[in-house]
Amino acid sequence: MGTLCIQLRSGTMMNMDSNVAVKLAKAAMDKGHKVTMFGYGEAVTLIKDGQDPKRFPNVGKEISKMTAEGLEVVVCETCCVARGIHRGEEIRGTKIGSLTNDFSRMAAEADRLVTIAR
Amino acid sequence: MLVLITRPPYGLEEAFAGARLALGGKVSGVMDETSVLLIGDGTLNALEAQNPAAVAMPSNLEALQDILDLDGQVFCVEPDLRERVGDMKVLDGIKMISWDEAREIVNAHQLVTTF
Repeated sequence: MGTLCIQLRSGTMMNMDSNVAVKLAKAAMDKGHKVTMFGYGEAVTLIKDGQDPKRFPNVGKEISKMTAEGLEVVVCETCCVARGIHRGEEIRGTKIGSLTNDFSRMAAEADRLVTIAR
Repeated sequence: MLVLITRPPYGLEEAFAGARLALGGKVSGVMDETSVLLIGDGTLNALEAQNPAAVAMPSNLEALQDILDLDGQVFCVEPDLRERVGDMKVLDGIKMISWDEAREIVNAHQLVTTF
């Protein structure tokens, strides 16, 4: 089985990109692949705990479930700080990390890298 | 990894984010190689005469220079740049290439991410 790395750059409430990323990750995991996801730019909202959209899919809830099933989710710390998201506010099992240490490792370990952005 | 930059240097975050991502990959020590390919409006990032201080924005040129200083490669599709700005000078060290060469570079990379 392979490893898929998804780089997401859209925020959770900007468009359907985060939903697509979650569905893609789930489909790959269901087939037995390892999946890593890195949130960059607006996509750091992916790991914010307490998401409660009224009429849209709750990406945070999906992320919470999927990290428990083995999905690795890391977002860029610099992007978080710029947007006022700090350590302690992330969904359990996700990580506020870095491009250099985390994304580079994820990309280096991946068999496929998919970028989801607009 | 190849970082493909398609957006202009200012007005959008993408080009800056792409340059920083390439720099992060370069200094991480875990990527075999990290290169940057500038195409379309992204070729404007190669121009030497940028003055980001005028709009109080960070310099993409500095990030590209850092990549070059770390022996990374920055490629720029020359026809895309020339049709936008004529013969304006680009940062030393950036390799000007044709579209045929750009295709070969993309094909030669296992991982490509687009900004």
